Amino acid sequence: MSRSVWKGPFVDSYVLKKAEASRESGRNEVIKIWSRRSTILPQFVGLTFGVYNGHKHIPVNVTEDMIGQKFGEYSPTRTYYGHAADKKAKRK
Amino acid sequence: MKDRICVGAITGSFGVKGEARVKSFCADPAAIGDYGPLSSEDGSRSFTLKITRPVKTGFAVRLSGVTSKEQADALRGTRLYAPRDALPGLPDDEFYHADLIGLTVLDTGGTDHGKVHAVHNHGAGDLLELRPKGRKGGVLVPFTRDIVPTVDLTSGRIIIDPPEGLFDDPDSST
Repeated sequence: MSRSVWKGPFVDSYVLKKAEASRESGRNEVIKIWSRRSTILPQFVGLTFGVYNGHKHIPVNVTEDMIGQKFGEYSPTRTYYGHAADKKAKRK
Repeated sequence: MKDRICVGAITGSFGVKGEARVKSFCADPAAIGDYGPLSSEDGSRSFTLKITRPVKTGFAVRLSGVTSKEQADALRGTRLYAPRDALPGLPDDEFYHADLIGLTVLDTGGTDHGKVHAVHNHGAGDLLELRPKGRKGGVLVPFTRDIVPTVDLTSGRIIIDPPEGLFDDPDSST
């Protein structure tokens, strides 16, 4: 069952505080968080979070497309390397 | 830059008429047939590959010089390599993983951060996994213009401008 709309999106309060502090300072930094369950809010767009996967912090650059998703979706807990072959990487 | 890239592997025979089963490592699996003749790891054998049908875990293919099930079975485990030149050119700011892997990473101050070990994408943009010397594990660096301003394939190095907290915290190592 999905979350009731009247409650609003869930975000751990420390994530909000850290994001606000980072935005105010204007520094280019990775905001380390352990809260994989927090929802990505519009005010997080443009910030870089280090989302813990139980092992290390995975850098996540928040973009508009990610609003409404949870941080944990971008920080997988299992590693798969695969083959490079003809796969491409785009610098954004 | 490597001159050959592994694009797939032969996993056995398919049927009894000399077809082989091939597993593709390409981003678009069917593209394995687009890179011309493929060679074995030591370069001693070369195959022209024609995809006949998709099968579970790969493709059934007809390989040049392979006419029987026994010959196809004997090739099980052979990795197939395409020449790097066969891959199409890319626009600016787009790179093949194979070209990025192995590049030396320096920061704007000239500090060596090791080499690129792998490229990941977990849905929030591409990440370079670096393996700095004297460090237990890897460090992930977002592949953005701000953080990776220079990629010099000819001289084999990348210049990064890492944000605070990316390298100095032991949590970021594996």
